[in-house]
Amino acid sequence: MDILTPFTIAIGLLTSGDPELMGIIGLSLSVSLTAVLTSLVIGLPLGALLASYRFPGRTALIVISNTFLGMPPVVIGLLIYLLISRAGPLGFMGILYTPAAMMLAQTVLVLPISIALSRQAFETLNGEYAPLFQSLGLGQLARIRALVFEARVAMITIALACFGRAISEVGAVMIVGGNIRHSTRVMTTSIALATSMGELAFAMALGVVLLLVALTVNIGTQLVRHSFRNLGHDV
Amino acid sequence: MTSENGKPEIILQARDVTLARGGVTLLDGVSADISRGRITLLLGHNGAGKTLLLSALHGIIECDRGRIEGPQLARQKMVFQKPIITRRTTAAHLRFLCPDLDDGQLMNWLARAGMEKRANAPARMLSGGEQQRLALIGALAAKPDILFLDEPTAHLDFAATSFVEKMIREAHGAGTTIVMTSHNRAQAERLGEDVIFIDGGRIVETTSAGNFFRAPRHELAKQYLAHL
Repeated sequence: MDILTPFTIAIGLLTSGDPELMGIIGLSLSVSLTAVLTSLVIGLPLGALLASYRFPGRTALIVISNTFLGMPPVVIGLLIYLLISRAGPLGFMGILYTPAAMMLAQTVLVLPISIALSRQAFETLNGEYAPLFQSLGLGQLARIRALVFEARVAMITIALACFGRAISEVGAVMIVGGNIRHSTRVMTTSIALATSMGELAFAMALGVVLLLVALTVNIGTQLVRHSFRNLGHDV
Repeated sequence: MTSENGKPEIILQARDVTLARGGVTLLDGVSADISRGRITLLLGHNGAGKTLLLSALHGIIECDRGRIEGPQLARQKMVFQKPIITRRTTAAHLRFLCPDLDDGQLMNWLARAGMEKRANAPARMLSGGEQQRLALIGALAAKPDILFLDEPTAHLDFAATSFVEKMIREAHGAGTTIVMTSHNRAQAERLGEDVIFIDGGRIVETTSAGNFFRAPRHELAKQYLAHL
């Protein structure tokens, strides 16, 4: 295989506007972005809570969250599979082999990243703002809201880290999504399938497309970050 | 302001306030009365415990022993030596400090501080003097019963210092009780009415500002004034 072949195929795929490929890219993005958004909605307040307050079980929560950071995606996929399979406790939802299951798996996968990074960011901010918050007599909810708002620029970095993990993940979505054509096939599972079928150039080309998609998202978020910096909100 | 029996009315009272950290006693059985409507200066060397006592009186640090009685926290404000500024615009920061202000009041306060044109500037990009003015109007706009000021003019130039002192006088004139620290003798003599002199976490002398600067009783106070 010529080293340039995957790039030629990748450009050809993108310029042809192949509906199946566009569908796969769209599904990859929607699954990963939804998972990132959900993990931020849950993880940021949790990170702020862990950073701002000492309460019983806090250390246990941190340890559990950090443990999940190193959890192999395949194991997370398996856990989610057991939960949502027909015999599982959440089997009544009927989401196995649907994009919803893939979103759930990716959310569980990136949630620990969201919690760990936000806790770190919030601890720094809380150290800075704690006397002011105390002086203003802010309650717990108001304090967490203020911290989340103050961390909005840091959140872009956290979101990017989560997105990088989610978009490149294959094991968990393969198990709970099933890699069904036109339904749950995403970029990574397509690459895995093409590789298993020996279509290495095509698999590599899909990899290049995946990288380009990730690059586009990164450029977009960096532009947002720069505009924040130019406005002086990231000082 | 005086009570019915002619004595100054006490707005805030500290009794036997003690605080230790890492085996070191930082505040040692401090008892003090703050008179309503007066400007009380907390004076002492660096590390004497002034900022700690100010924070304890304000109620934002928990003491190991003792009690502090005064107005509820919502009726008190504190301006820190290094202003704590949020990552918002100047106007948004002022609104964060004082959520009850309407748009007109907010712009009016900014105008009083000469900062109306900086309303949409990021607050953290303001100069040190502007940030201190912003913190001060943020505290004053709430019309607190007690205002705590921790070296409010440290590192400020003459114009900014004049503004801060003018605002302090206005607040004092409006009946706000002010408790402040300062290392500026001229400023302390200009503004102070009562003095609490503290050394090594203990109150050494409590008297009127006039007496303190004219004829301090305690040897430590005399030494302190000699170097101020």
